[in-house]
Amino acid sequence: MFDTIEILLILIPLMPLGATVATAVLGAKILRGQSHWPTIVAIGLSCLMSLALVLKVSGESKPATEHADTHAAGTHAIGYEKTVTLWSWAAVEDAYDYDSPVGDSVYQGDFRINIVLRADPLTAIMLAMVTFVSLLVAIYSVGYMHDDPGYWRFFTYIPLFVFSMTMLVSVSNFVLLYVFWEAVGMCSYLLIGFWFQKPEAAAAGKKAFLVNRIGDFGFALGLFLLWTTYGTLDFHDTIVSGQVQSLGIFGQTMLATPGAYVTGGVGTAICLLLLLGACGKSAQFPLHVWLPDAMECPTPVSALIHAATMVTAGVYMVARCTPLFQASTDAQHVVAFIGGFTALLAALIALTQTDLKRILAYSTISQLGYMFLGLGAATLLGITAGMFHLFTHAFFKALLFLGAGSVMHAMGGVIDVRQFGGLRRLMPKTHWTFLFGSLALAGVFPFAGFWSKDIILAAVHEQAEVHPLYEWLYLAGLFTAFLTAFYTFRAFFLTFYGKERIPKEAGHHAHESPLSMTGPLMILAVCALVVGAYFELTHGFAGFLERTPSIAYLGTIAHEAAGHAAGEGNHLVVAIISTAVALAGIGLAVLLYLIRPGLRDGLTRAMDAVGLYRLSLGKFYFDEIYNALVIVPIRAGAWLCYWIDRTLVDGLVNAVGLFPMLVGAGLRPLQNGMVQFYAMAMVLGLLVLIGVLLM
Amino acid sequence: MYSEVAILQNYLVVGALLFGIGVIGFLSRRNMIVMFLSAEMMLQGVSLSLVAWSRFHNDFGGQMLVIFIIAVAACEAAIALALVLMLVRRTGKLDVVVWGELREDNQLPFEEADLPEPPTEPCEPWPTLTPAGVDPKLKPEQTDCRPNV
Repeated sequence: MFDTIEILLILIPLMPLGATVATAVLGAKILRGQSHWPTIVAIGLSCLMSLALVLKVSGESKPATEHADTHAAGTHAIGYEKTVTLWSWAAVEDAYDYDSPVGDSVYQGDFRINIVLRADPLTAIMLAMVTFVSLLVAIYSVGYMHDDPGYWRFFTYIPLFVFSMTMLVSVSNFVLLYVFWEAVGMCSYLLIGFWFQKPEAAAAGKKAFLVNRIGDFGFALGLFLLWTTYGTLDFHDTIVSGQVQSLGIFGQTMLATPGAYVTGGVGTAICLLLLLGACGKSAQFPLHVWLPDAMECPTPVSALIHAATMVTAGVYMVARCTPLFQASTDAQHVVAFIGGFTALLAALIALTQTDLKRILAYSTISQLGYMFLGLGAATLLGITAGMFHLFTHAFFKALLFLGAGSVMHAMGGVIDVRQFGGLRRLMPKTHWTFLFGSLALAGVFPFAGFWSKDIILAAVHEQAEVHPLYEWLYLAGLFTAFLTAFYTFRAFFLTFYGKERIPKEAGHHAHESPLSMTGPLMILAVCALVVGAYFELTHGFAGFLERTPSIAYLGTIAHEAAGHAAGEGNHLVVAIISTAVALAGIGLAVLLYLIRPGLRDGLTRAMDAVGLYRLSLGKFYFDEIYNALVIVPIRAGAWLCYWIDRTLVDGLVNAVGLFPMLVGAGLRPLQNGMVQFYAMAMVLGLLVLIGVLLM
Repeated sequence: MYSEVAILQNYLVVGALLFGIGVIGFLSRRNMIVMFLSAEMMLQGVSLSLVAWSRFHNDFGGQMLVIFIIAVAACEAAIALALVLMLVRRTGKLDVVVWGELREDNQLPFEEADLPEPPTEPCEPWPTLTPAGVDPKLKPEQTDCRPNV
């Protein structure tokens, strides 16, 4: 009935879902301290199946072999995709008549939401990355979360989170994408507020949820506009007995037709609304404020959110919608600008933060900015570079967060870099793995971050010929690379070098973490070292990703071909410059934090004099600005509504309620309890009746 | 020689009188049993009219109705007397005013009007009969007035 790919596609999300159900049912009473087993087994199996899926898709999508049978016969397929329809969730027949953007046929728009999963390179890569990182995080959590009273609850949420994310990347319909988009948001809410007894954690969960809601609102509007424009929300063409029954937005028919995608105002509006959703989920300016606060959650969850299951959703969605963004140059510029701006902004904030996890959070925002910058370049190189950075970033950011968690575990929950230092002898494994992660984040050759960041910068630099904006963004990206290297190593040196200081909260915990925590760290450290080089040098990642239909579409557009040949030399120059910049950043950190700490105060004072230091420390006062611009007016409005409700609306209702009470008060004397009185009334009534009859 | 109409009139007058007396009794008495009897009397007044009309029109419908009324009245009497019995058991009184407690909350209770004072001067004793075979005790003035008895 199903072939291998289809079975894999179905089973990959099903496993974590089963683990959730099993832990939810059995966790509290039976499993207790063993609650991690369903999660680890299920995600482990999912991970293996995802790797198998990657291999299978990679094999089947080779351009040499003809696998065109999944598409309309006779046409040359763009990219590789395979879908499996499970069941029809909802259908409204003849919901809409629209002129097809392809040819002159009019499609009867049945509104159908089918549960369809798809396999293409983009999905396969995301699945493999998500399940792999989640598996390591889950294993790590066994050590990190032990003795927590909510142990089984934790291991109920984690697989649910993984399920939502795997579904998010493998569904083939915008409505379902939206559903799991929300599901991911809900899981993040549950996990950020995991220690809900802490008021900060509860507030952070709420903040994440509400800020995401703004983005989701934009996303929903984008979907409505997509529906009215294209009359479909499917990604793929629905083919029934060789005939295209209904089009998909990224289906072969649309991709193969020049000019199928709406340009102009509508096209830009769709892209910008979708981008708003992506900004919310991927913590881009102006909706980036939730991510740093989300540090209140258990550290493995931070790693999960930052690396695998949450913030990558926005990048994935924009990459998936490449053809839409391709139709609108303005939208591309906005994406690139927001990406570049966020990268720079977050890097500047990260310079002065003292909370280790917060530094990493801002670095995530900054790196996500890079991804958007790559996507905004909107060339084949740019998109694949953005996704490649997503891929490598997942490894080293998970590594850094888990390392920070290891430090936090040993320090008894203290995460302020000013309170500890010189931990390299105490925690050698954490120290080395954290060093690997830092080097990868700083973009030092040959670590993973170097390769991906470098291609993004190269892609942006290439686009500078097309539009001057990209030249500025390129410079911003280079400067951000410098800042990234600096603040990463600032945190690294403050934590692991200098005089050994241990806060008193640490107590007897001040030792290296157990194997269940250092094991994943070491695996991730190896990944942070090799994935970039391996995939870049073999051209495996980009070559594979290019076979995704919506990305392969770029290859079919003519203007691409011109600039690409000149790219290689250019690329090398960019690589050298960015490495030099990163080394300069590290050098500055070495100077200020290892060799001459005295210089630091002078620099701080100089920066403070121009106001920059305080601006960075205050996170550019975004929270305060939003508080003044949004929260206070809304509170005032809410108070006004409350007042109107209490006085006007309630007053009116009470006035209506008063009427029967008054009537009742008037009639009450009739009920005086004297039987004769009632009888008298009857007699009088009788007399009146007789009188009327006789008249 | 009475005409049919004249006979009917007599019956109707009696029926109306029965009904009227019943109404007045129901309205003016406070004893629950008497009130119940008054209600029965109203019922009988109506029944009498019905029978009279039935006879007048030569239509047995009215009489049938009366038989029904009698049957229903019997049931009603059983229930009403049981009810009265229960009420009396609760309060120990037949007075219907006691049940004025069932009025609306903020209504004034029934105020018992003051009874007229009993006459202060002793009244004439009722005549009594002397048991047979005994000389009646006569007051001296009576013996004076009736020497020959």
